[in-house]
Parts: sequence; structure tokens; C-alpha cells
Amino acid sequence: MDEQELIAGSLNGRKEDFRMIVERYSAPAMALAMNLLRNRDDAEDACQELFIQVYRNLGSYDPRRSFKNWVYTILYRRCLDHLKRRRRATELVSKMGRETITATPANPGHSSSPRSLPSGLLEQLKAKERTALCLWANEGYTAREIGEVLRCSAGTARVHLFQARKKIKKLLEQGDVSLQNG
Amino acid sequence: MFHCKTVEFFYGLIPLKPWRDFLIRRHIEKCPGCLAGLASREEAGSLLVQEAGADIGPSLWAEVEAAIAKDSREKKAGDRTIQPSPGRRWGWAVATACLGVLLISFFFLKDFRPEGTSADAVQARFELEYVRVGGQPASAVIYQPQGSDMIIVWVGKNL
Repeated sequence: MDEQELIAGSLNGRKEDFRMIVERYSAPAMALAMNLLRNRDDAEDACQELFIQVYRNLGSYDPRRSFKNWVYTILYRRCLDHLKRRRRATELVSKMGRETITATPANPGHSSSPRSLPSGLLEQLKAKERTALCLWANEGYTAREIGEVLRCSAGTARVHLFQARKKIKKLLEQGDVSLQNG
Repeated sequence: MFHCKTVEFFYGLIPLKPWRDFLIRRHIEKCPGCLAGLASREEAGSLLVQEAGADIGPSLWAEVEAAIAKDSREKKAGDRTIQPSPGRRWGWAVATACLGVLLISFFFLKDFRPEGTSADAVQARFELEYVRVGGQPASAVIYQPQGSDMIIVWVGKNL
């Protein structure tokens, strides 16, 4: 079924059409959320919030824009909210002088966890860089499309992607060196 | 190689995104030496969670559906509370009409004449110290009709 038909059906209150939208986008959305948040539970929460927000705001979606990019933009914002909340919680715990519980487990996925790296490599990237890298590597997005999701210019998106790729390469090389030495 | 180092130096020197974008487009994206310093799509992809391994399962739809159902219930309840009864609607209509009548009456009844048209104001603006008619002292009356700028001076002989 065509995407626009599903959107129109959802707007007319047909739950089954919206269910198909959720099924179509849940896996790519979950992958992006997990890459951004590095935590399965938080990623599931973000995806749930995403689809509720999509349902509520479906009327304001501009059909000239890519629906997938629109969904990713909302998801990116939701993930940023989660990261902010997590940072505040970590700050609060550290202020209280207790032992901080890092909300970044080493195993972010159940079935296909990414290659484990010595220094939690993706943690070293900023949220924008991580998003740009994920969209570029997983979805094959161009700088213009990444910019559409991040709500910035294509040039700015290109810079974020470049920084991410540079950092990753550097850290991978360092990791290889340390593994060889070890 | 020398050129690459210069580009790298200028990239670090000016941390402005348009400038950096310019350097990336003009040199880095085209230079094999510079591209070798960047992670490839495959390298980056190997670190990331892929779509195939990120399936949530049917629990997501169940939760989303419950939230949507709750949303529409609340919306309906909200609509019910906001919906005024017919009696209340009539009350509002009557009150608005009364307010309108009061406003219109106010504008009709209010004296919008500029200040200075009252008797005192006429005296202040127009004063006769001494009037003589036919060589004899005469009494004068100054009169301004209501709502007019015209001033009438009536002089009568003292008999």
C-alpha cells in the first residue's frame, strides 16, 4: 500500500493504516534510536513516544517533504530529550555523591550488537555527529537529507558527518594499535 | 601532501561551518589522501546497530495503540466538558447583546463637544468690558447656542 494512502487512512481514523506505518518504520527508527541512545530501553521509549507524536501531528505533515525524514526528525528530537534527561540524572546522582549508574550498557541490542570497542567509540561522538553517521552509513543519506533531519543546512550536516568519520577513523586506528600492543 | 596539511591547518584555524564545508567540498572530498583519514561507510556501519537487529516486535504497536485510545478518550471527554449547554449559550448571547446595546448607548449619549462650549468657557473666551449704545451705557448678554461654535452678543440700552 502506498505511503500517502496510509497517511490519508490514518488521518481518517483507520487504525489499521497507522499500524502499517508503525510496522514499516519501527525497525529503522529503532536502529537510529539505539545508535543515538546506546540503550535498548530508552530507544524503545523514544520509539513509542515517536509514533504517538506522529499520530497526533499527522495533520501537520507536509506531503511535499519525505515522510521518512519527517519521522526521523521527530525521533531525533525525542532522542535528544532522552539524552538531556539522562545527563541531568547523571549530574544529580554525581552531585549527591553517590555512585553514578551509567545508562550506557555495553550491549545496546539483543540480536545484533555492534562490534564491541575498547572505548565505547560512538560515545565519543556528539549526538548530531552520531545521527549524521548513522543516516549516512545505514540509510545512505546525502548531506542535504541529513540536514533535513537535523534541521540544519547541507553544509553544516556535511561538517558533522566529516567530523564523525574523522573521529571514528582515528579511534579505530588507536583501537587497532592498542589491540596489537596488547 | 603539502596542500593537504595546509587545508587541515586552515580547517582547524577557522571553526566556522560554512568555511569548513567549503574546504570539505573543494578539497577533502576529492583528495584520496584526505579520504583515507575518514571512516568508510562499511567501517562506520560495522559499529552501528543495523535495521535487521533492531526489531521491537508487536509490543510497540500495543503500547502505541493504548496511548492513542487513551488520547481519543481524553479528547472526547474534553470535547464534552468544553461543549456548552444550549441554556448557557443563550445566556452568553443575551449578555453579549446587552453589552453591545450599552456600548452603543454610551456613544450616542456621551457629549463629545470640545471643552469650552459651556457658559463659563464662553465667558473665558469672550469678554466685554464696556458697551455703549447711542452714547449711553448699555447692558450686554453673551450667548452661545448649545452644540454650536457661534457666539451671539446681544446689547440692550439701559432704560
